[in-house]
Amino acid sequence: MNAVETKNLTYKYSVGTPFETTAVDDVNVTIEKGEFVGIIGHTGSGKSTLIQHLNGLLKQTSGDVIINGRNIWSKDVNIRDIRFEVGLVFQYSEHQLFEETVYKDIAFGPKNMDLSPEEVDKRVREAAASMGITDDMLERSPFDLSGGQKRRVALAGVIAMEPQILILDEPAAGLDPIGRDTVLEKISEYHKNSGTTILLVSHSMEDIVKYAGKVLVMNRGRLFCYESVDNVFSKSKEIQMIGLDVPQITRLSLMLKEHGVDLGDDIYTIERAKQRLIEQIKGKQEC
Amino acid sequence: MLKDITIGQYFPGNSIIHRMDSRFKIVLDIIYVIMLFVAQNFMGLAVAAIFIFMAYGVANIKFRLMLKSLKPIVPIVIFTAVLNLFFIKGEGNPLVDWWIFTIYWEGIETSLFMMIRIICLIVGMSLLTYTTSPIILTDAIESLLSPLKKLHFPVHELAMMMTIALRFIPTLIEETDKIMMAQKARGASLDTGGLMKKAKALVPILIPLFVSAFKRANELAMAMECRCYRGGEGRTRLRQLKASPIDFAVTALVLTVFGFVIVNNFIF
Amino acid sequence: MIGDIVNIIETKDLEFEYQTLDDDGKVIESNKVLKGINLTIPKGQFVAVLGHNGCGKSTLAKHFNGILVGSKGKVFVNGIDTADDDKIYDVRQNVGMVFQNPDNQLVATIVEEDVAFALENLGVPPKEIRRRVDEALNTVDMYKYREHSPHQLSGGQKQRIAIAGVIAMEPDCIVLDEPTAMLDPKGRKEVMATIKKLNREKGITIVFITHYMEEAAQAERVIVMDKGRVIMDDEPKKIFSRVEELKAVGLDVPQVTELCYELRKEGIDIPQDIITEQDCMEHILKLFGKDVL
Repeated sequence: MNAVETKNLTYKYSVGTPFETTAVDDVNVTIEKGEFVGIIGHTGSGKSTLIQHLNGLLKQTSGDVIINGRNIWSKDVNIRDIRFEVGLVFQYSEHQLFEETVYKDIAFGPKNMDLSPEEVDKRVREAAASMGITDDMLERSPFDLSGGQKRRVALAGVIAMEPQILILDEPAAGLDPIGRDTVLEKISEYHKNSGTTILLVSHSMEDIVKYAGKVLVMNRGRLFCYESVDNVFSKSKEIQMIGLDVPQITRLSLMLKEHGVDLGDDIYTIERAKQRLIEQIKGKQEC
Repeated sequence: MLKDITIGQYFPGNSIIHRMDSRFKIVLDIIYVIMLFVAQNFMGLAVAAIFIFMAYGVANIKFRLMLKSLKPIVPIVIFTAVLNLFFIKGEGNPLVDWWIFTIYWEGIETSLFMMIRIICLIVGMSLLTYTTSPIILTDAIESLLSPLKKLHFPVHELAMMMTIALRFIPTLIEETDKIMMAQKARGASLDTGGLMKKAKALVPILIPLFVSAFKRANELAMAMECRCYRGGEGRTRLRQLKASPIDFAVTALVLTVFGFVIVNNFIF
Repeated sequence: MIGDIVNIIETKDLEFEYQTLDDDGKVIESNKVLKGINLTIPKGQFVAVLGHNGCGKSTLAKHFNGILVGSKGKVFVNGIDTADDDKIYDVRQNVGMVFQNPDNQLVATIVEEDVAFALENLGVPPKEIRRRVDEALNTVDMYKYREHSPHQLSGGQKQRIAIAGVIAMEPDCIVLDEPTAMLDPKGRKEVMATIKKLNREKGITIVFITHYMEEAAQAERVIVMDKGRVIMDDEPKKIFSRVEELKAVGLDVPQVTELCYELRKEGIDIPQDIITEQDCMEHILKLFGKDVL
């Protein structure tokens, strides 16, 4: 079954004024259940606007959003239920923390769902554990934690609602390499353990290819492509043309190809580049 | 959305009014307001209204914007008009006398008069903010209040605070929007329930907002220190407020109109 | 000192500790953030400082213009002791600072007013302010935005305005504390290009704090900090070839450097000090017996 489906999704700002702009332009995309999708595009490409449609924070100008087979704006659907089905974690999500303790903050979402206290407790502890938040941290004030820890608390706050689809807007922005790797590793683990559909928005192709199975590229409000990670770099040139970076290792492989050393179109990890290079060097030695 | 608020918005331009010394503009705006209250009849108001309309024309501000500035005060205008309409007792017979409502000719006259006066008032004050950037307005207020420095009134500090507030209003509005969306995504319901519930629902928005505002204040203070800020003592300004012949000419014009309004009170 | 090489910043056994006091003013907790830093930064150098969060790099930066003063040791800016309160504004004018969050360092509602802020504080005559503001805005290529309000600009543009506000003071040195951390890739490139231009064309000394190694790789010299100490201090090629040490302190290396490192482990003959794609390509092509024209 499909987790997310958009049909001719279009969103316009300031309709009817001279400032009218189309932020999302006729986007048709189908995302399967359990997929880990990386969403990339430069600032203003419409990627943030797109994801805000998926849990009904924004209402499209035209087109449809279908979540788990239900059109979210049809009359028999309560939009608040959709918000529980589709968890959305914003950029710099630590800015949403407000409770006295980490525990209470993570519990805010589940409590809003009117769950039993036992269920809330269970979910808080599970979500905290999945984001690497230790028990002694649960009783501390969220404001005393480090930047990376705060970020993970905010993530746990949404994960505790056990959404079937989890959307993360740049969960690693502004963190140092350790903080970034920890957050992304935890998300990846959570994806494997829970089978939740994950949509991860990032500016970094390197991060996306490391964790996602598919890549959705947005450009000027339009869907540029939606491909598996292995296939997307066959379009490396076009991706660079629309102003996005490809991983350094991919750039290297493109440069090598131009000079007659072809490692293939699916080079995006150091591991794979190394393997192919060794194969080719050995092959050459045997000749 | 919260972003749509336009009160105090500045529209850059290069008209005579834009180029006028902002201290003159403030003082003349005050004179204009006094003029509206001095005017006792429609003739006086009409002169003031024509004057301000012409000023909009000179400043090249669109009519649409003038109307926009009036939007938030529509309820006040209506309230004042209704109040005057029903509570002013005239001599002669009432025009309408039905159930508890009695309307006299004088009531209609007064409510019309009050409506025009309020509209002229808002339109006139908006012209000041439409044609003067907030920072220059702040400079002008600082300059006009500078005699108070002798009384140890913190004029510079006040102006600095106003500048910073103006600078951060859009940032904080945007921030509030973001926090509201984030909490909504966590199932917070902000617009349902009774008063108590609504007040409680504000906590998850206000606390993050305050935390961030304090953090911003802290960082801004440090950035200001790094740029050698040490209060108003010995400070110079990029923009010098300087009176030009235009300022005196416009002042003469406003005073003429003012004089006419006063004389008009006695004649008609 | 040799010839006309002058050190703009010099630290001597610099230590700094944060103390948490109780209500009676007794120290409950003290946390040593800097543990004896000895650095000299010569005029005109482009230095990158790397290290993960909490390693002390931001605290160190705040000592360079006297925002913080060490609990032990000294910092000299152009030979002036930063602990000397009488000369603190000379120090701050000579060493400008740019911070991470572009929003929280712009004071005025109009770009050119913001750029003028420091000059107004320093009591520079209005005509001279005008000249320097225009020049600074042209240098960062933001002159046409001079009448905009900061909130209409992108992150990268705001950061360039912050830089303009600093260079208007005509400092010898600019310290940038993770100026690119909150920007998108486009903004990062804009800021990077601006910084390099300042260093190259105006000879301004740059101390650039970052945790993006591709950015650090563009500097002349890289200082790596960990737990309040300087643990490496060398040219980028030499630093990045120490792959394992860097990973041990939570830092990345450029992908091409890591590739070469991995290839070497497999017994392939490729140098270890490769940090650019071009360099890497050339050496790989050599392995295939090809030369780049």
